[in-house]
Amino acid sequence: MSPQHRTALLRFACTGWAVALMAASGVAGAVTTAIDDSGTVVLSPSVPMRWQALSPRQGNGVLMIGSTTVRVQLNVMPWLQHSGRIYLVFPAQQPGTVRASWSSQGRLLSGSVTSGSRALVYAGPISTPVVQDVLQLAIFVDGRQMHRGYELNFHFEMEST
Amino acid sequence: MMPRIWSALVLAGAPIAAWAFTVAIVPASPQEVYLQVGVGSFAGNYNVGGTPGNNATISKASVTVAAAAVGNGTAQALATDSTVGASPYDGYIYCNTPAQLYIGGFYRRTTSGSNTAIVTATVPASLVNASGDQIAFSRISWTTGGNGDNGSEPFPAGTFVSGGVQTVGAIAQNQWAESCWTFRYSNTTVPPQGTYIGRVLYTVTAP
Repeated sequence: MSPQHRTALLRFACTGWAVALMAASGVAGAVTTAIDDSGTVVLSPSVPMRWQALSPRQGNGVLMIGSTTVRVQLNVMPWLQHSGRIYLVFPAQQPGTVRASWSSQGRLLSGSVTSGSRALVYAGPISTPVVQDVLQLAIFVDGRQMHRGYELNFHFEMEST
Repeated sequence: MMPRIWSALVLAGAPIAAWAFTVAIVPASPQEVYLQVGVGSFAGNYNVGGTPGNNATISKASVTVAAAAVGNGTAQALATDSTVGASPYDGYIYCNTPAQLYIGGFYRRTTSGSNTAIVTATVPASLVNASGDQIAFSRISWTTGGNGDNGSEPFPAGTFVSGGVQTVGAIAQNQWAESCWTFRYSNTTVPPQGTYIGRVLYTVTAP
Protein backbone atom coordinates (compact mmCIF):
# COMPACT_ATOMS: atom_id res chain seq x y z
CA MET A 1 0.00 0.00 0.00
CA SER A 2 1.28 3.44 -0.88
CA PRO A 3 0.96 5.99 1.93
CA GLN A 4 -0.18 8.66 -0.48
CA HIS A 5 -3.29 6.65 -1.17
CA ARG A 6 -4.43 6.89 2.39
CA THR A 7 -7.61 8.71 3.24
CA ALA A 8 -9.45 9.09 6.46
CA LEU A 9 -12.70 7.34 7.16
CA LEU A 10 -15.10 7.51 10.02
CA ARG A 11 -16.95 4.46 11.09
CA PHE A 12 -19.50 4.04 13.81
CA ALA A 13 -19.69 1.01 15.99
CA CYS A 14 -23.09 -0.47 16.51
CA THR A 15 -22.78 0.05 20.25
CA GLY A 16 -23.16 3.77 19.79
CA TRP A 17 -19.57 4.89 20.17
CA ALA A 18 -17.42 5.77 17.25
CA VAL A 19 -13.96 4.78 16.19
CA ALA A 20 -11.76 6.96 14.05
CA LEU A 21 -9.92 5.01 11.47
CA MET A 22 -7.19 5.50 8.94
CA ALA A 23 -8.02 3.74 5.74
CA ALA A 24 -6.66 3.36 2.29
CA SER A 25 -7.38 1.72 -0.97
CA GLY A 26 -5.29 -1.37 -1.56
CA VAL A 27 -4.98 -3.91 -4.30
CA ALA A 28 -8.08 -5.55 -5.73
CA GLY A 29 -10.34 -3.08 -4.00
CA ALA A 30 -9.09 -3.94 -0.52
CA VAL A 31 -9.19 -1.29 2.17
CA THR A 32 -6.40 -1.13 4.70
CA THR A 33 -7.24 0.27 8.10
CA ALA A 34 -5.32 0.68 11.30
CA ILE A 35 -6.70 -1.51 14.07
CA ASP A 36 -7.38 -0.25 17.55
CA ASP A 37 -4.71 -2.16 19.47
CA SER A 38 -4.84 0.09 22.50
CA GLY A 39 -5.53 -2.97 24.62
CA THR A 40 -2.23 -4.51 23.63
CA VAL A 41 0.32 -4.71 26.41
CA VAL A 42 4.05 -5.31 26.17
CA LEU A 43 4.80 -7.13 29.39
CA SER A 44 8.46 -6.10 29.52
CA PRO A 45 8.62 -3.01 27.33
CA SER A 46 12.32 -2.42 27.93
CA VAL A 47 14.19 -5.22 26.22
CA PRO A 48 17.88 -5.78 26.99
CA MET A 49 19.69 -6.68 23.79
CA ARG A 50 22.48 -9.22 24.04
CA TRP A 51 24.82 -10.69 21.49
CA GLN A 52 23.08 -13.59 19.81
CA ALA A 53 26.36 -15.41 19.33
CA LEU A 54 29.41 -14.94 21.46
CA SER A 55 31.66 -15.17 18.47
CA PRO A 56 31.88 -12.14 16.24
CA ARG A 57 33.26 -14.37 13.49
CA GLN A 58 30.10 -16.41 13.11
CA GLY A 59 27.68 -15.62 10.33
CA ASN A 60 25.32 -13.97 12.77
CA GLY A 61 28.11 -12.65 14.92
CA VAL A 62 27.02 -9.05 14.67
CA LEU A 63 23.45 -9.70 15.72
CA MET A 64 22.03 -8.73 19.04
CA ILE A 65 18.86 -10.34 20.27
CA GLY A 66 16.26 -9.50 22.85
CA SER A 67 12.85 -10.85 23.60
CA THR A 68 9.67 -9.93 25.34
CA THR A 69 6.06 -10.98 25.59
CA VAL A 70 3.26 -9.05 23.95
CA ARG A 71 -0.32 -9.59 25.05
CA VAL A 72 -2.21 -8.64 21.92
CA GLN A 73 -5.73 -7.35 22.07
CA LEU A 74 -7.25 -6.05 18.86
CA ASN A 75 -10.59 -4.34 18.61
CA VAL A 76 -12.00 -5.70 15.38
CA MET A 77 -15.59 -4.74 16.08
CA PRO A 78 -15.83 -2.67 12.86
CA TRP A 79 -15.20 -5.83 10.81
CA LEU A 80 -17.38 -8.20 12.79
CA GLN A 81 -19.02 -10.81 10.58
CA HIS A 82 -16.75 -9.87 7.69
CA SER A 83 -13.57 -11.39 6.38
CA GLY A 84 -10.23 -9.70 6.54
CA ARG A 85 -6.51 -10.01 6.73
CA ILE A 86 -4.66 -8.70 9.74
CA TYR A 87 -1.07 -7.59 9.40
CA LEU A 88 1.55 -6.73 11.95
CA VAL A 89 3.22 -3.61 10.60
CA PHE A 90 6.78 -2.74 11.51
CA PRO A 91 7.53 0.66 9.98
CA ALA A 92 11.02 1.65 8.94
CA GLN A 93 12.66 3.41 11.87
CA GLN A 94 15.85 3.81 13.82
CA PRO A 95 18.28 2.17 14.31
CA GLY A 96 17.92 0.78 10.78
CA THR A 97 17.17 -2.73 9.68
CA VAL A 98 15.59 -4.63 12.52
CA ARG A 99 13.93 -8.02 12.35
CA ALA A 100 11.21 -9.19 14.65
CA SER A 101 9.97 -12.74 14.88
CA TRP A 102 7.30 -14.16 17.09
CA SER A 103 5.50 -17.26 18.08
CA SER A 104 1.84 -17.08 18.96
CA GLN A 105 -0.55 -19.20 20.94
CA GLY A 106 -2.53 -19.98 17.82
CA ARG A 107 -5.09 -17.26 17.38
CA LEU A 108 -2.65 -15.31 15.26
CA LEU A 109 -0.01 -16.68 12.95
CA SER A 110 3.59 -16.95 14.02
CA GLY A 111 6.06 -15.26 11.72
CA SER A 112 8.66 -12.61 11.26
CA VAL A 113 8.91 -9.15 9.80
CA THR A 114 11.68 -6.77 8.90
CA SER A 115 11.40 -3.09 9.61
CA GLY A 116 9.80 -1.31 6.70
CA SER A 117 7.39 -4.12 5.96
CA ARG A 118 4.45 -6.03 7.37
CA ALA A 119 3.56 -9.65 7.98
CA LEU A 120 0.24 -11.47 7.82
CA VAL A 121 -0.94 -12.68 11.20
CA TYR A 122 -4.55 -13.56 10.42
CA ALA A 123 -6.74 -14.21 7.41
CA GLY A 124 -10.34 -15.23 7.54
CA PRO A 125 -13.69 -14.34 9.00
CA ILE A 126 -13.91 -11.93 11.91
CA SER A 127 -16.26 -13.68 14.25
CA THR A 128 -15.49 -12.01 17.55
CA PRO A 129 -15.25 -8.31 18.40
CA VAL A 130 -11.84 -8.76 19.97
CA VAL A 131 -8.87 -10.80 18.82
CA GLN A 132 -6.49 -11.81 21.56
CA ASP A 133 -3.25 -13.72 21.59
CA VAL A 134 0.10 -13.73 23.35
CA LEU A 135 3.21 -13.32 21.25
CA GLN A 136 6.72 -14.25 22.27
CA LEU A 137 8.51 -11.54 20.39
CA ALA A 138 12.20 -11.67 19.54
CA ILE A 139 14.06 -8.67 18.20
CA PHE A 140 17.19 -8.99 16.09
CA VAL A 141 19.39 -6.02 15.29
CA ASP A 142 22.87 -5.48 13.98
CA GLY A 143 24.84 -4.59 17.09
CA ARG A 144 26.90 -2.13 15.12
CA GLN A 145 23.79 0.00 14.81
CA MET A 146 23.13 0.05 18.53
CA HIS A 147 24.60 3.38 19.43
CA ARG A 148 22.05 3.77 22.23
CA GLY A 149 18.60 2.59 23.15
CA TYR A 150 15.77 2.84 20.65
CA GLU A 151 12.01 2.61 20.72
CA LEU A 152 10.50 0.32 18.13
CA ASN A 153 6.92 0.95 17.08
CA PHE A 154 4.60 -1.71 15.79
CA HIS A 155 0.94 -1.61 14.89
CA PHE A 156 -1.70 -3.79 13.37
CA GLU A 157 -3.78 -3.09 10.33
CA MET A 158 -6.77 -4.75 8.70
CA GLU A 159 -7.05 -5.34 5.01
CA SER A 160 -10.67 -5.94 4.13
CA THR A 161 -12.77 -5.96 0.99
CA MET B 1 -31.17 11.75 11.61
CA MET B 2 -30.18 14.61 13.90
CA PRO B 3 -28.24 12.50 16.44
CA ARG B 4 -26.11 10.96 13.71
CA ILE B 5 -25.18 14.34 12.24
CA TRP B 6 -24.23 15.62 15.70
CA SER B 7 -21.96 12.64 16.28
CA ALA B 8 -20.18 13.19 13.01
CA LEU B 9 -19.43 16.79 13.86
CA VAL B 10 -17.95 15.88 17.20
CA LEU B 11 -15.63 13.31 15.67
CA ALA B 12 -14.50 15.63 12.93
CA GLY B 13 -12.94 17.84 15.56
CA ALA B 14 -11.33 15.06 17.53
CA PRO B 15 -7.80 13.77 16.96
CA ILE B 16 -7.49 10.52 15.04
CA ALA B 17 -6.01 7.80 17.17
CA ALA B 18 -2.52 6.59 16.22
CA TRP B 19 -2.41 3.09 17.56
CA ALA B 20 0.85 1.34 18.12
CA PHE B 21 2.69 -0.61 20.71
CA THR B 22 6.27 0.14 21.53
CA VAL B 23 9.22 -2.03 22.46
CA ALA B 24 12.31 -0.26 23.76
CA ILE B 25 15.57 -2.01 22.97
CA VAL B 26 18.66 -1.27 25.01
CA PRO B 27 22.14 -2.73 24.48
CA ALA B 28 22.59 -4.59 27.76
CA SER B 29 26.02 -6.01 27.08
CA PRO B 30 27.53 -3.65 24.59
CA GLN B 31 31.10 -4.71 25.25
CA GLU B 32 32.67 -8.07 25.86
CA VAL B 33 36.31 -8.91 26.24
CA TYR B 34 38.09 -12.15 26.98
CA LEU B 35 41.75 -13.04 27.28
CA GLN B 36 43.28 -16.44 27.82
CA VAL B 37 46.98 -17.04 28.34
CA GLY B 38 47.69 -20.72 28.64
CA VAL B 39 44.91 -22.44 30.52
CA GLY B 40 41.43 -20.91 30.37
CA SER B 41 37.83 -21.91 30.75
CA PHE B 42 35.35 -22.33 27.98
CA ALA B 43 32.14 -24.31 28.18
CA GLY B 44 32.02 -25.46 24.59
CA ASN B 45 33.77 -23.86 21.67
CA TYR B 46 33.23 -20.21 21.04
CA ASN B 47 32.00 -20.62 17.48
CA VAL B 48 29.09 -22.75 18.57
CA GLY B 49 27.99 -20.62 21.44
CA GLY B 50 30.55 -21.66 24.00
CA THR B 51 30.61 -19.60 27.13
CA PRO B 52 33.84 -18.14 28.49
CA GLY B 53 34.56 -18.39 32.18
CA ASN B 54 37.13 -17.40 34.74
CA ASN B 55 40.18 -19.53 35.42
CA ALA B 56 42.72 -18.70 38.08
CA THR B 57 45.35 -21.12 36.81
CA ILE B 58 48.76 -19.56 36.26
CA SER B 59 50.49 -21.26 33.39
CA LYS B 60 54.21 -21.78 33.69
CA ALA B 61 56.97 -21.90 31.12
CA SER B 62 60.30 -23.27 32.26
CA VAL B 63 63.58 -24.74 31.21
CA THR B 64 66.37 -26.56 33.01
CA VAL B 65 69.73 -25.61 31.62
CA ALA B 66 72.30 -28.34 31.86
CA ALA B 67 75.38 -27.37 33.86
CA ALA B 68 77.63 -27.82 30.86
CA ALA B 69 75.46 -25.52 28.78
CA VAL B 70 75.01 -22.64 31.19
CA GLY B 71 76.04 -19.41 29.57
CA ASN B 72 77.21 -20.94 26.31
CA GLY B 73 75.10 -18.59 24.21
CA THR B 74 72.82 -21.27 22.89
CA ALA B 75 69.26 -20.18 23.48
CA GLN B 76 67.26 -22.56 25.57
CA ALA B 77 63.63 -23.22 24.67
CA LEU B 78 61.12 -23.09 27.48
CA ALA B 79 58.35 -25.65 27.78
CA THR B 80 54.95 -24.79 29.17
CA ASP B 81 52.90 -26.74 31.67
CA SER B 82 49.78 -25.63 29.83
CA THR B 83 48.06 -28.44 28.02
CA VAL B 84 45.98 -26.08 25.94
CA GLY B 85 46.72 -26.74 22.30
CA ALA B 86 43.20 -26.44 20.97
CA SER B 87 41.78 -23.06 20.20
CA PRO B 88 38.77 -22.29 22.39
CA TYR B 89 37.36 -20.65 19.32
CA ASP B 90 36.68 -23.81 17.37
CA GLY B 91 38.66 -26.63 18.93
CA TYR B 92 41.28 -26.58 16.20
CA ILE B 93 44.65 -27.86 17.40
CA TYR B 94 46.40 -24.58 17.02
CA CYS B 95 49.32 -24.71 19.41
CA ASN B 96 51.79 -27.51 19.95
CA THR B 97 52.23 -28.20 23.61
CA PRO B 98 54.38 -28.20 25.60
CA ALA B 99 56.56 -26.12 23.31
CA GLN B 100 53.97 -23.41 22.74
CA LEU B 101 51.76 -21.35 24.99
CA TYR B 102 48.32 -20.36 23.76
CA ILE B 103 47.30 -16.71 23.96
CA GLY B 104 44.00 -15.54 22.54
CA GLY B 105 40.72 -13.86 23.15
CA PHE B 106 38.09 -11.64 21.71
CA TYR B 107 36.82 -8.11 21.90
CA ARG B 108 33.45 -7.04 20.70
CA ARG B 109 31.31 -4.01 21.08
CA THR B 110 28.30 -2.38 19.56
CA THR B 111 28.63 0.20 16.82
CA SER B 112 30.97 -0.17 13.92
CA GLY B 113 34.48 1.14 14.15
CA SER B 114 38.10 0.23 14.38
CA ASN B 115 38.63 0.19 18.10
CA THR B 116 41.24 -2.14 19.47
CA ALA B 117 41.72 -3.86 22.77
CA ILE B 118 45.33 -3.80 23.86
CA VAL B 119 47.06 -6.64 25.66
CA THR B 120 49.94 -5.65 27.90
CA ALA B 121 52.44 -7.54 29.99
CA THR B 122 53.49 -6.28 33.38
CA VAL B 123 57.00 -7.60 33.79
CA PRO B 124 59.21 -7.67 36.89
CA ALA B 125 62.79 -6.56 36.52
CA SER B 126 64.20 -10.01 37.11
CA LEU B 127 63.65 -13.64 37.80
CA VAL B 128 64.90 -14.39 41.28
CA ASN B 129 66.17 -17.51 43.00
CA ALA B 130 65.95 -18.45 46.67
CA SER B 131 69.24 -16.70 47.40
CA GLY B 132 68.09 -13.49 45.82
CA ASP B 133 70.22 -13.86 42.73
CA GLN B 134 68.66 -12.42 39.62
CA ILE B 135 68.36 -12.95 35.91
CA ALA B 136 67.05 -10.03 33.92
CA PHE B 137 63.66 -10.69 32.36
CA SER B 138 64.98 -9.21 29.14
CA ARG B 139 66.87 -12.46 28.60
CA ILE B 140 63.58 -14.13 27.76
CA SER B 141 61.97 -13.62 24.38
CA TRP B 142 59.41 -15.41 22.30
CA THR B 143 58.51 -16.30 18.76
CA THR B 144 54.95 -16.57 17.55
CA GLY B 145 52.85 -18.61 15.20
CA GLY B 146 50.29 -21.39 15.25
CA ASN B 147 49.34 -24.32 13.10
CA GLY B 148 47.80 -23.28 9.82
CA ASP B 149 48.63 -19.63 10.33
CA ASN B 150 49.09 -17.11 7.59
CA GLY B 151 49.42 -13.37 7.76
CA SER B 152 50.49 -11.28 10.68
CA GLU B 153 50.10 -12.41 14.24
CA PRO B 154 47.93 -10.45 16.66
CA PHE B 155 50.45 -11.31 19.38
CA PRO B 156 53.79 -10.87 17.66
CA ALA B 157 57.22 -12.03 18.68
CA GLY B 158 59.02 -9.99 21.28
CA THR B 159 61.37 -9.74 24.19
CA PHE B 160 60.42 -8.92 27.74
CA VAL B 161 61.41 -5.61 29.16
CA SER B 162 63.15 -5.81 32.50
CA GLY B 163 60.67 -4.16 34.74
CA GLY B 164 57.74 -2.32 33.19
CA VAL B 165 54.59 -2.63 31.17
CA GLN B 166 54.85 -3.49 27.52
CA THR B 167 52.29 -4.04 24.80
CA VAL B 168 52.37 -7.60 23.54
CA GLY B 169 49.38 -7.67 21.20
CA ALA B 170 46.05 -6.33 20.18
CA ILE B 171 42.56 -7.59 19.45
CA ALA B 172 40.66 -5.70 16.80
CA GLN B 173 37.05 -4.81 17.44
CA ASN B 174 34.67 -7.70 16.87
CA GLN B 175 37.47 -10.14 16.24
CA TRP B 176 38.86 -13.24 17.80
CA ALA B 177 42.65 -13.09 17.96
CA GLU B 178 45.08 -15.85 18.91
CA SER B 179 48.72 -16.83 18.64
CA CYS B 180 51.03 -19.47 20.01
CA TRP B 181 54.15 -18.34 21.75
CA THR B 182 57.43 -20.20 22.04
CA PHE B 183 59.66 -18.79 24.77
CA ARG B 184 63.39 -18.99 24.89
CA TYR B 185 66.09 -17.99 27.34
CA SER B 186 69.10 -16.31 25.76
CA ASN B 187 71.60 -18.13 28.00
CA THR B 188 74.41 -15.68 27.54
CA THR B 189 75.44 -15.26 31.17
CA VAL B 190 76.50 -17.55 33.99
CA PRO B 191 74.27 -16.87 36.97
CA PRO B 192 74.60 -18.69 40.27
CA GLN B 193 72.95 -22.08 40.45
CA GLY B 194 69.30 -22.09 41.44
CA THR B 195 65.71 -21.98 40.36
CA TYR B 196 64.84 -18.54 39.10
CA ILE B 197 61.20 -17.56 39.14
CA GLY B 198 59.31 -14.55 37.89
CA ARG B 199 55.69 -13.88 37.08
CA VAL B 200 54.34 -11.83 34.20
CA LEU B 201 50.83 -10.46 34.38
CA TYR B 202 48.89 -10.09 31.13
CA THR B 203 46.11 -7.55 30.95
CA VAL B 204 43.60 -6.75 28.23
CA THR B 205 42.29 -3.22 28.10
CA ALA B 206 39.38 -2.22 25.89
CA PRO B 207 38.37 1.35 25.05
